[in-house]
Amino acid sequence: MDPLLLSKREKRTLATQYADLCLTCGTCAGGCPVTGVDGLDVRKAVRLVLLGMEQELIDSRFPWVCTLCGRCEHACPMGIDLLAMLRSARGKRARDKVPGVLHKGVQMCLKTGNNVGIPKEDFLFLLEDVGAELAEELPGFEVPLDKKGAKYLFTINSKEPFAEPEDMFYWWRILTAANESWTVASENWEGVNWGLFTGDDEAMKEIVGRIVKNYKELECEYLVLPE
Amino acid sequence: MYIEEGRIKLDKSIHQHLTTYHDPCNYGRKSERTFGHGYYEEPRWVTQQCCENFVEMYPNRANNFCCGAGGGAWAAPYVEERIFYGRVKAKQIKDTGAKLLIAPCHNCRDQIMKSLRKEYDMMDVEVKYLWELVADSLVVEPKEGGSDEEE
Repeated sequence: MDPLLLSKREKRTLATQYADLCLTCGTCAGGCPVTGVDGLDVRKAVRLVLLGMEQELIDSRFPWVCTLCGRCEHACPMGIDLLAMLRSARGKRARDKVPGVLHKGVQMCLKTGNNVGIPKEDFLFLLEDVGAELAEELPGFEVPLDKKGAKYLFTINSKEPFAEPEDMFYWWRILTAANESWTVASENWEGVNWGLFTGDDEAMKEIVGRIVKNYKELECEYLVLPE
Repeated sequence: MYIEEGRIKLDKSIHQHLTTYHDPCNYGRKSERTFGHGYYEEPRWVTQQCCENFVEMYPNRANNFCCGAGGGAWAAPYVEERIFYGRVKAKQIKDTGAKLLIAPCHNCRDQIMKSLRKEYDMMDVEVKYLWELVADSLVVEPKEGGSDEEE
């Protein structure tokens, strides 16, 4: 192993303003359930960054096995922005090297408006269909679609229409019981933004922008992301 | 909110089992850091409007442990690591002796309900979303007028 020349280290590219402040106390790693997986932990991740070995961190599984839960950051006595650092390590991965389905979901969402690619007509049919099912219990119930001027605009987690549509009954029941004014959008209704997880700021911004556009066009008072 | 304003009525007799509450990182720590307010007390209050028997996990609130599936881990291929991560959460839950766990976040709920219960031998613990708990506790009355709220 060649010695590392600190005088020659490359400029940092990961997003952390405060990593230099690290005291190496290990409070972060001590309270983290994935410390030690692949021989890494949060404290070591900070060392890699500070020693100019960012690429090792980017190529490792650690930023992905970490759940970005923020317990380390909450406990850090120096207030180091550990989550921004780890998330940006995810963002520096080539997109075709993003693990699993996450980046495919982002691409699908940009293309179709939801992470699993449910076509609009199928979505509308499903809402009508499960709405009718709930109407057996709550006479007159139907899902208020694109209702202009509704008080609340709700986004939907695509896993519900995709796999567990009856789980939507819970919030529909509450809103109905409270006699609330609410709506869902017929397009770009996805509330799960995987750009957050893949470190993809651009995609994240685009997806959020579409939700805000719905919210403005439908002239709703509040936006609710029940995620 | 609806409950305070009396726009919805809840029946506590439906959920009599000892109940605990899981703090999702997004509702707690991350809201606190991003928006200056962590939602720790609100969901506990709502839970206790539906359940008389409530117990805390330790540690909780800002120091709570992640379910193990956050940050996209539920959709990522590192299954073994995700389950390993969740061992701490599973122990926290078991230590309470609760038979009902409220997990407001989709992700936390799926990890605990569909994975950790099976992996760590706690199938006797029922898992519900917070809104599921509320919806299941609703006392449905004939229609009246009303106005609004949010979680």
